[in-house]
Amino acid sequence: MNVPRSWLEALVGPLPATEEVVDLLDGLGLAVEQVVERPAIPDGVVLAEIVEATPVEASDHLIRAVVDDGTQRRTVVSGAPNTTVGLRTALATPGTYLPAADLTVEARELRGVPSDGMLCSPRELGAYDDARGLAAFADDLPLGTPLADVWPAETVFELELTPNRADAFGVLGVARDLAAKLGRELAHPAAADRPGDDAGDDGLAVVVEDPAAAPHVALQRIDGVRVGPSPAWLQHRLAALGLRPRTNVVDVTNYVTHELGQPSHAYDLRVLQDGVLEVRPARSGERVALLDGDTYDLDPADLVIATPDGAGGSTPVGLAGVMGGLHDSVRDDTTAVALEVAHFDPVRIRASAKRHGLHTDAHLRFERGVDPALPPLAAAYTARRIAEVAGGTVHPALSRVGGAPAPGAIRFRPSRVPFLMAFDVPPATQRTYLEALGCTVDAQEDDAWTVTPPTWRFDLGIEEDLVEEVGRLHGYEHIGATRPDLAFTPRRTDPTHRALREELAHEGFHEVIHYVFTGDEALARARAPEATVALANPQGVERSRLRTALYPGLLDAAAGNPQAPSLALFEVGRVFLEPERERVAWLLAGAYARDGWTPDTPVAWPHVAGLLERLAARRRADLTLRPADPDDVPMLHPGVAARVAWNGVDVGFAGRVHPEVADAYGLDGAFVAELDLPLAARRLAVADVARQPYAERDLAVVAPDDVPYADLETLVRGAAGDRLVEVFPFDVYAGAPLADGERSVAIRMRWRHPERALRDEEVDADLANVVAAVRAAGHSIREG
Amino acid sequence: MHEEARADVEAAEDLRALQEVRVKWLGKKGRITQELKGLGALPSDERREAGQRIHAVKEAIEAAIEARRATIHRAELAARLAAERVDVTLPGRSGPAGGLHLLTKVTHHLLDVFAGLGYEVVTGPELETDHYNFGALNFPPEHPARDEQDTFWTRDGRLLRTHTSPMQVRYMETHAPPFKVVVPGKVFRNEAVDATHEAQFHQLEALVVGERITMADLRGAIQEMADALFGEGTRTRLQPTFFPFVEPGAEFAIRWTHPKTGRDEWLELGGCGMVHPNVFAAAGYEGVTGFAFGFGIERLAMVPYGVPDIRWFYQSDLRVLEQFEGAL
Repeated sequence: MNVPRSWLEALVGPLPATEEVVDLLDGLGLAVEQVVERPAIPDGVVLAEIVEATPVEASDHLIRAVVDDGTQRRTVVSGAPNTTVGLRTALATPGTYLPAADLTVEARELRGVPSDGMLCSPRELGAYDDARGLAAFADDLPLGTPLADVWPAETVFELELTPNRADAFGVLGVARDLAAKLGRELAHPAAADRPGDDAGDDGLAVVVEDPAAAPHVALQRIDGVRVGPSPAWLQHRLAALGLRPRTNVVDVTNYVTHELGQPSHAYDLRVLQDGVLEVRPARSGERVALLDGDTYDLDPADLVIATPDGAGGSTPVGLAGVMGGLHDSVRDDTTAVALEVAHFDPVRIRASAKRHGLHTDAHLRFERGVDPALPPLAAAYTARRIAEVAGGTVHPALSRVGGAPAPGAIRFRPSRVPFLMAFDVPPATQRTYLEALGCTVDAQEDDAWTVTPPTWRFDLGIEEDLVEEVGRLHGYEHIGATRPDLAFTPRRTDPTHRALREELAHEGFHEVIHYVFTGDEALARARAPEATVALANPQGVERSRLRTALYPGLLDAAAGNPQAPSLALFEVGRVFLEPERERVAWLLAGAYARDGWTPDTPVAWPHVAGLLERLAARRRADLTLRPADPDDVPMLHPGVAARVAWNGVDVGFAGRVHPEVADAYGLDGAFVAELDLPLAARRLAVADVARQPYAERDLAVVAPDDVPYADLETLVRGAAGDRLVEVFPFDVYAGAPLADGERSVAIRMRWRHPERALRDEEVDADLANVVAAVRAAGHSIREG
Repeated sequence: MHEEARADVEAAEDLRALQEVRVKWLGKKGRITQELKGLGALPSDERREAGQRIHAVKEAIEAAIEARRATIHRAELAARLAAERVDVTLPGRSGPAGGLHLLTKVTHHLLDVFAGLGYEVVTGPELETDHYNFGALNFPPEHPARDEQDTFWTRDGRLLRTHTSPMQVRYMETHAPPFKVVVPGKVFRNEAVDATHEAQFHQLEALVVGERITMADLRGAIQEMADALFGEGTRTRLQPTFFPFVEPGAEFAIRWTHPKTGRDEWLELGGCGMVHPNVFAAAGYEGVTGFAFGFGIERLAMVPYGVPDIRWFYQSDLRVLEQFEGAL
């Protein structure tokens, strides 16, 4: 919402310097986004009327115009299509500098015709952005009037309004807040206007089919108007609002929309059959052509303005609350106007505008809520303004259906202000504030007032709303700073997985954060699970799904850093399976260690396994890696793929990226792991230090090379008795004299008795059990 | 014979050769040992003198061997040290140094501040329902306030949370007041992406509920955060605004010196206010008041540390990530 300073001053009186006004508005919650200084029309530009217009012979578009500037006639050459006799426009006299066009006007000759000045478009004047033709003004001012006198410089406050403040979408609402803050009297623009007589007969009729959708509709008749350009003062204000002036009748309706916040629409009375204006839901299959030139297919949830079709039905002529129709509006030859001023159901209007993708000044206000009581007064005011600028007579009667419900009263305790805001505002001052905003205050009881908000404040419904109003006017700068004394002891948990993140960073991994958005194609390329969540309104097909795994993002990141000789990346984030879960994933590629001047140590599986082991060891967790079923982890190399069990629970996978997947990302190769979080730690329990020596035996087990070591260890652990304390492999050998497909795994076992040294024969008995178990499993022992 | 032994000792090039010299002269069958054994065969009057002479020779040889041993040892040590020399100026050998994402660092820094102020950290889901993201937070159906949230909807009618505030409701549903919690997390807005806008970003939100929480407590919490982030005595400002889930509502700013321009200005951080009674009602709370405030993490990471483009946070360019290393 743009608010011109001069307009505010007309309603509240003189204002302080611009920066102070900005602070005042910001402090009222009417945030100023920026302040724009608009220029005056330059000195040397005067109002002139075209009295002759003839084509220049040597040109296909230039016109030789004779203009009357009030004191003399001048010949001026113009190329504008609206260079026509009778037009009152802007003449820049020779010597005038036009900053907007960066041009100094000089007397000169064009195609042999002398041109004593220049007729200007609004853009050339710096007035507003329109270069389609010459500026056009009404005939309310004497010719020769310097236009800078009626088009002075203007300061415009651009407000970023919150959606609750429907009332501030009119200059009046902003002025009311300022007046209340400054303790000024508000000069209401319609203070002297009186609504037309409901009982009078104006030959018009309003029919409302669904009163819930259109609770209040007024139709005001104005006869004898002359449609033409608006006076300069009106154009000046519209330009400051950021609007383009059109014709006087339409300009007034736009002016009032932005002043009172009440949209209205002026119909050419000839369009309303029998003077009947109908407000009704659209029928299935109906279409309507709107002012923007497009034709819209209507939905029964849309609300239309219609007029009888002479066959017992009615034809839609406009989309209620959103946009007027192409054929119903005032035209150049309109003389009788029916002005529709209404209150519509905000939800209905909002849905309709959204459905048709329309965003208009009218819908913006109706969807936030226009004062339901305002239509009769706004009709009288708007009609008076139309008659002032376009001539004509306002009919003394008003056709009207419906009305405004009385606003609900709010129980209000003035003590609630110090309670919530923690500052003191005397009840009498609170009352002044509330009344200045338009509330009716019944303060008979000390701390149990009844406050009735004005009809234009949709946002005031509960006591806290009134506390905010008092606080806003008193000023938030009075709020102190305290710390509440609460009986609350926070639990110290780690929901952001900070320890893990820091650990991985210390392990040399760079943390990345990826988009949760992905696409089917990207998921397929990474061989990740298919998406379970699809967006209804994505930013492109490649961002239309939610990720089902983290590692595809890491592959993307690896592909995006081809220059890096060594990559270690991790991400902690959420994946969108059902239900959503938190995961960690990491990627290793290139050199695990390098110095650049000796051969690199390429990343290999043991680095991945080693990291898992360190993570587990630091958490005293029980880690088990098992060969993964390749169908289960299609993104991994089938020969280097592990399922990861953490304290006995499957949490994810680790392995080498499948060569075909690596190829798809243009990677030489990479290792990835992805695990569900949290990676739980076991509770710390410190045991006594072992004081007995252990006894050690080695065994070389020969087994097919697809028998995982983990199986052999399980076999050993199962047979070695309960004094076994440690098992680990210390050599793996394949080759002669072993058969193809066989390998020998040398396993070292350690036994310990808690209280005494073990005797050799005890250990040998345990070893014999192990040997027996290995043989029973079909494997052999390699001797020597 | 003395000279011959000396020559043997001097000829020994290493400790092994020296040991052979020792054996040759002083070993069980060594020449000196033999000579000493031969003393018994001498007449007793010569025996004494010969014994003294042989012992003198023996001592001289021992001394020579010892001296030679020390010399050889020094030479070997020197050779070893020379052989073991490395060029300590060549690059070291390791993988990447690793590091946390700047957004994580800033978040952790903030969580440290709030932990110090007695807040508990909680997190919640990113895929949410209309109820938790809007309805329970007092966004009426079809209210224009919803338009400001530029929501990503899913085909099955859920949504990506547009703010961390759904956790207000989720937390209140499962906990009783009083409490102080802080919620970090990802949020999503369907807006055009440019240098300062992303479809995905991070927020931090604080919620405090008790029997008598006031707007001044809210201001105090913001002030304490500002003091911790920007130094004791940092100025803060509240200005009225509207969010459906607070009443009264405000936006807050912190006065700071812009690191690039050197100008003192207000850094507008986020929104805040007193929890709206309808939000308490949705959570089944009665007779309490509370405040909430929230703000974007990206802004607090971009402006102070000079990150020019919000998209840098999500592009995983190592040349950017490596710059995230170091202390805040």
